Amino acid sequence: MTEPLSPETLAKRRAQPTSGGPHPRLIPVLLLKHGVIVRSQLFKRHQVIGNPLSSVERFSNWNVDELVVLDISRGDEGHDLRRDDLQQSYGGDGVLDVLRAIADVCFMPLTFGGRVRSLADIEDRLSAGADKVALNTAAFETPGLIGQAARRFGNQCIVASLDAEKTSGGWEVKVDGGRHGTGLDPADWARDLERRGAGEILLNSIDRDGAGRGYDLALIRHVTDAVDIPVVACGGVGCYTHFAPAILDGGAAAAAAANIFHFFELSYPQAKRTALADGVPLRPLRLGSKYLPREPSYDRALEDARLAERLRQAEEADYPAARPEAANKRRPIRWCSHCTYPSISAAPMEFDEAGKCTGCQMAEVKAAIPASEWSRRTELLRDLVERYRSRDGSRHDCVVAVSGGKDSYFQVHLVKEVLGLNPLLVTYDGNNWTDVGWRNMERMREAFDVDHVVVRPSVATLKRLNRLAFQIMGDMNWHAHVGIMTVPMRVAAERGIPLVFYGEHGYLDLCGQFSMDDFPEVTYRDRLEHFARGYEWTYFVGREGLTAQQLDTWKYPSDSRLLDLDLRGIFLGNYVHWEANAHIELVTERYGFEISHEPFDRTYRTMSNLDDMHENGVHDYLKYIKFGYGRGTDHTCKDIRAGLMSREQAIELVKRYDPVKPRDLARWLDYVGMTEEEFDRIADTFRDPRVWRREDGRWLRDRLEP
Amino acid sequence: MIAVIDSGISNIGSVMTALQRIGAEAKATRSRAEVEAADSLLLPGVGAFGDGMAALRHHDLVEPIRAHANAGKPILGICLGMQLLASESEEFGTHTGLDLIPGRVRRLRPQAGLRIPNIGWCGLRAREGASLFAEMPPDACFYFVHSYVVDCAAAEDSAGLLDFGEETATVAVERGRIFGAQFHPEKSQDAGLAVLDAFRRICETPQ
Repeated sequence: MTEPLSPETLAKRRAQPTSGGPHPRLIPVLLLKHGVIVRSQLFKRHQVIGNPLSSVERFSNWNVDELVVLDISRGDEGHDLRRDDLQQSYGGDGVLDVLRAIADVCFMPLTFGGRVRSLADIEDRLSAGADKVALNTAAFETPGLIGQAARRFGNQCIVASLDAEKTSGGWEVKVDGGRHGTGLDPADWARDLERRGAGEILLNSIDRDGAGRGYDLALIRHVTDAVDIPVVACGGVGCYTHFAPAILDGGAAAAAAANIFHFFELSYPQAKRTALADGVPLRPLRLGSKYLPREPSYDRALEDARLAERLRQAEEADYPAARPEAANKRRPIRWCSHCTYPSISAAPMEFDEAGKCTGCQMAEVKAAIPASEWSRRTELLRDLVERYRSRDGSRHDCVVAVSGGKDSYFQVHLVKEVLGLNPLLVTYDGNNWTDVGWRNMERMREAFDVDHVVVRPSVATLKRLNRLAFQIMGDMNWHAHVGIMTVPMRVAAERGIPLVFYGEHGYLDLCGQFSMDDFPEVTYRDRLEHFARGYEWTYFVGREGLTAQQLDTWKYPSDSRLLDLDLRGIFLGNYVHWEANAHIELVTERYGFEISHEPFDRTYRTMSNLDDMHENGVHDYLKYIKFGYGRGTDHTCKDIRAGLMSREQAIELVKRYDPVKPRDLARWLDYVGMTEEEFDRIADTFRDPRVWRREDGRWLRDRLEP
Repeated sequence: MIAVIDSGISNIGSVMTALQRIGAEAKATRSRAEVEAADSLLLPGVGAFGDGMAALRHHDLVEPIRAHANAGKPILGICLGMQLLASESEEFGTHTGLDLIPGRVRRLRPQAGLRIPNIGWCGLRAREGASLFAEMPPDACFYFVHSYVVDCAAAEDSAGLLDFGEETATVAVERGRIFGAQFHPEKSQDAGLAVLDAFRRICETPQ
């Protein structure tokens, strides 16, 4: 990856002052679109990463030098997290509401840009917590604005954002999110912006956006040669070695990137470590914060009040979605034109202009990957494995996270037989097994002749967590989601095994959260945000008498341990062609995997989620209660994309399965000691007002029709 | 309770958020009575020296602040707030300051390859025994946005030094229970929050 350094570069490195001026900076950029953070490609395709607050907190843990947030929303639609069952949210739907919430957890300089049109817009953002405000289109359309802003607020807080696209002979400045050409050369425009009073230039390359090929160094040089003010370079970073040249060769004061920081654990510390090693005199790397610890501490009084209010709503049948004011939150639901996925959902999703969801778009991209590319990916996987394999036989080569399902069998087959590794299987036991699921899990040790660790927290603790999580977030399976993402990583960390394999990245597969070239890995942010919905184990300490010790199972390895061990959680689906339906033959015939013939109530599939009877059952029923859809939708979407059914057939199945109240509810109620009426009432407090309305005592929603 | 002086010249939101994060009780005020009654004061500020003093005079706060500090009660000035503690400034003509730290505010000297204002993360050399930097790791950095620094008349008042090219400038002061930080502790992550936390502890320690 790293090319040999040119003599000019080496000379420049020697000339770089080690003291005397501020350090060059390494800056993550967050793209905010209608309330959520997105990953961007060519300024056009946007995939939803998630809640801005989770990302900002993670960047605070990593002590990033500075943060840039750009609001790339269009039209009148406001900011919305699209669901109400998350621990963290912001107060209203305006950009300033989001900004204020971000500023609350941001103790580093913050640049905020996007849709800034006037002095009043700038003033609003500065008072809401921004240290600098970035102007782009307005700087072009309103020539006097930069000058007025610099005089009024000081040029140190006025950033001119400049988007440039390659042309045959050079580059052209574009505005309005890259839509309109200006005919201007970026160097001329940058000089003009500096003369008017801009304090800094944020330089983006449109054609390198999301491409991962590295910065357009010629463009950066072109602009840094033209101005004296600091230039922040952005666009094109695909690996950590891409950062240093922007500063050392391009002359930028800061190297910025967006996408890469979302994909990997400790991406920022890793990037900084690499850039420091490459000779960039950055501020030293520091991990963690005494004042903003990674595991959130919660305002107990506030959280108690939230819970008490929910139980009151349940008691008095005062459901938020049934109130008259809920009409203001209702959204017209759209469905993907190709599959059955709705626009308000538990899974982060975007639609393109033709109405096709990112899940379908990514499935097409994936289907078009030629065999040669899969071979290349398998080689990448082999290289990666070689780096982490045990050299002296003193430990296992890797951990494989297994539930005992068909995918688990396929993974272990792949890891042991194809890659030739000595794996340690690790399973989280949430005490919700189906009989056949339990037998399949137990069989793995002998079927594969491997060591197998099954982590089994106490049933009393599990019952408490089931009950609490249902009341707090409308999902009894918090313990399972978090357990599965925690236990294998933790066993690996404790045993000094640096590599953990998971199967598919669920959201990449289901809703196209990432691109196929991103190779996203297991991250603490993803675990806390998507699997735990912002509720860390610390949330439960002291509730129903739970102690910190009893929550051991759900404690994730520390950042310093992750960094020391270089612990990576890899999704095999990024490297190996994953066709779930095709694995079944292999695993049944070769390893004796038992297929269940027992139908589920809420899906026509019988081969998924045998490790947890509630996952396809009452857990999924709660998804329907919240968002109006369930496993019928999830599974038909996958089968439509795999070419196994038509959209018309799928819609019939969705109608039949999604609303079913499943029989495993009886087990759960008995397990935790709750009545069905109590369950129904608490569940109804979670109905999302974006989806549901109440008329004449009945819950209604828009439906997907053929 | 720390009274944060909000004289209207700067946005104090970040300072308030940082104080809340370290668990300090704080209240923003521009009332003379509240400043007079305060146990400890925090004086933030950005912008020009003359404007900063004019705002304090406008709210009739100059005398209460001086009386507070001279009575040995803790005060921390941040950025322009630190400069206002000095005797005078040369920014756009000569202006009189609060005169709590004998010294003069002067512009950073222009040097090849260095931009003024100095904006960004810089290291700091803390004076041995400086109360606000007791827990500071040696390679800690702070976030600066400034063109001016303070030349202290008494060298022992200087609590932290910035190496800026060829020159060395005072960017933190300490004289009795009077403190100043040229950088922005509220924007300097743990290094900065630790400075505010040290000040909070001083505020909670009886004289």
